[in-house]
Amino acid sequence: MGFDFSLVTPRLGFFWAGTLVTIETSALSLLFGSILGVFIGVLRVAPVRPLRSLAACYIYVIRGTPTLTQLFFIYFGLPALGINLTAMASGIIGLSLNSAGYIGEIVRGGIEGVPVGQWEAARVLGLSYPGAMRFIVLPQALRAMLPAIGNEFVTLIKESSLLSTLAIAELTMAGQQVRSVTYASFETFIIVGAIYLLLTTLTSMALRQLEKRWDVL
Amino acid sequence: MDCPNAAASRGIISVKGLHKSYGGNAVLKGIDLDVKEGEVVSVIGPSGSGKSTLARCLCRLEGIDSGTVSLCGVEISSGSHGNGDIARMVGLIFQQFNLYPHISVRDNITLSPVRILGMSRGEANELASSLLARVGMSDKADARPRQLSGGQQQRVAIARALAMRPAIMLFDEPTSALDPELVGEVLDVMEQLADSGMTMLVITHEMSFAKDVSDRVIFMDDGVIVEQSPPAILFSNPQRARTRQFLQRLLPRPDGGSRTRTGDDIDGL
Repeated sequence: MGFDFSLVTPRLGFFWAGTLVTIETSALSLLFGSILGVFIGVLRVAPVRPLRSLAACYIYVIRGTPTLTQLFFIYFGLPALGINLTAMASGIIGLSLNSAGYIGEIVRGGIEGVPVGQWEAARVLGLSYPGAMRFIVLPQALRAMLPAIGNEFVTLIKESSLLSTLAIAELTMAGQQVRSVTYASFETFIIVGAIYLLLTTLTSMALRQLEKRWDVL
Repeated sequence: MDCPNAAASRGIISVKGLHKSYGGNAVLKGIDLDVKEGEVVSVIGPSGSGKSTLARCLCRLEGIDSGTVSLCGVEISSGSHGNGDIARMVGLIFQQFNLYPHISVRDNITLSPVRILGMSRGEANELASSLLARVGMSDKADARPRQLSGGQQQRVAIARALAMRPAIMLFDEPTSALDPELVGEVLDVMEQLADSGMTMLVITHEMSFAKDVSDRVIFMDDGVIVEQSPPAILFSNPQRARTRQFLQRLLPRPDGGSRTRTGDDIDGL
């Protein structure tokens, strides 16, 4: 049996458009997820117990339920509470909240990995707890965490394919559209797969460069 | 900083009835201590005697169970002072240096003056330069801590503590983590600091420093101050059996080949 990419190549524009949506949704989710994740991680080790419990609870729920269920809950479930979000907004919020849970746990580990002597030095030099966290502990924790964060970024790019279930025209959805018109399933998803691989590879490489530049500890 | 109230109080450091325990294990069992402004006090004693805990209580790194700790006439054990207030009064040098590894030597020194004292970046950099010159580290301002030897790191740590202009400097076994050949450079900086009139409390195993630099030596054992006197007296004529025992174990007998500079002081033991 032969494969015929000539059926698919006229529709490369679909893939291109889908790739842009995948990059957009992934990048925004990474951004919001990282910010919220650092916040969750800091709360997770807070000296105030209710804050710690709250963050632990959040991480527990996020990690214990499927990403797809979380997305469906936001898009299909929240309207019951009068919260109507577009598919795009639901998708980005869902992925952000999801990655924040995982990143929060990574941040917690990073913070706990900073030697207690750093806290003590910061303290005897006059810094408050938030000051020590911000200027001394968190910067060191983030550097140490970079490899784990990189993995989470790659995971998030792959999980953005779930947004196709919300009819968002990202890369996987674009693949389905091309397939339904051309019936060239094999060729279509080879291309889709290759594009994902390119995106995750570039992301990993970028993070490895960052690791090298930050390699100071 | 100046200590306007220190003259009125009993000393720049004044500790009364200090008790501290960890989970039922009493580490400090009633410490009374007064240190005058400009005095250099060495604290010696076996490990587990509570020396380090005392130093950590003096800068509020550890809370205390009972008693009072006053610095510059201000009771810091009351808990009504921020970390910045304490840092203006007292600096602590750690055994493990604890420099911030992710920023340069200069930034290590300027961080607290900028964030806590509200100094401008330019002012703080000038301060860092002069302090680095003082500890002989001028050429390393842009280095990262991990590029420095242990002795160099400890000298930077001293400069960093001095940047907060504390009235008192505490040293918690500052040379214990150093290779033997690096001990001297740190002790030299400490001796200079002592000569400049800084009030110092030094937890140490370096008997040469205790003997040659300090005005008073305190021997601690099992959570109490066993004995204290000027070094010439404490080393040559200790009054308590426990002190004698400790010194005997620490210092070689003269006829056993003396390794330390204090060897000739223990004839009377």
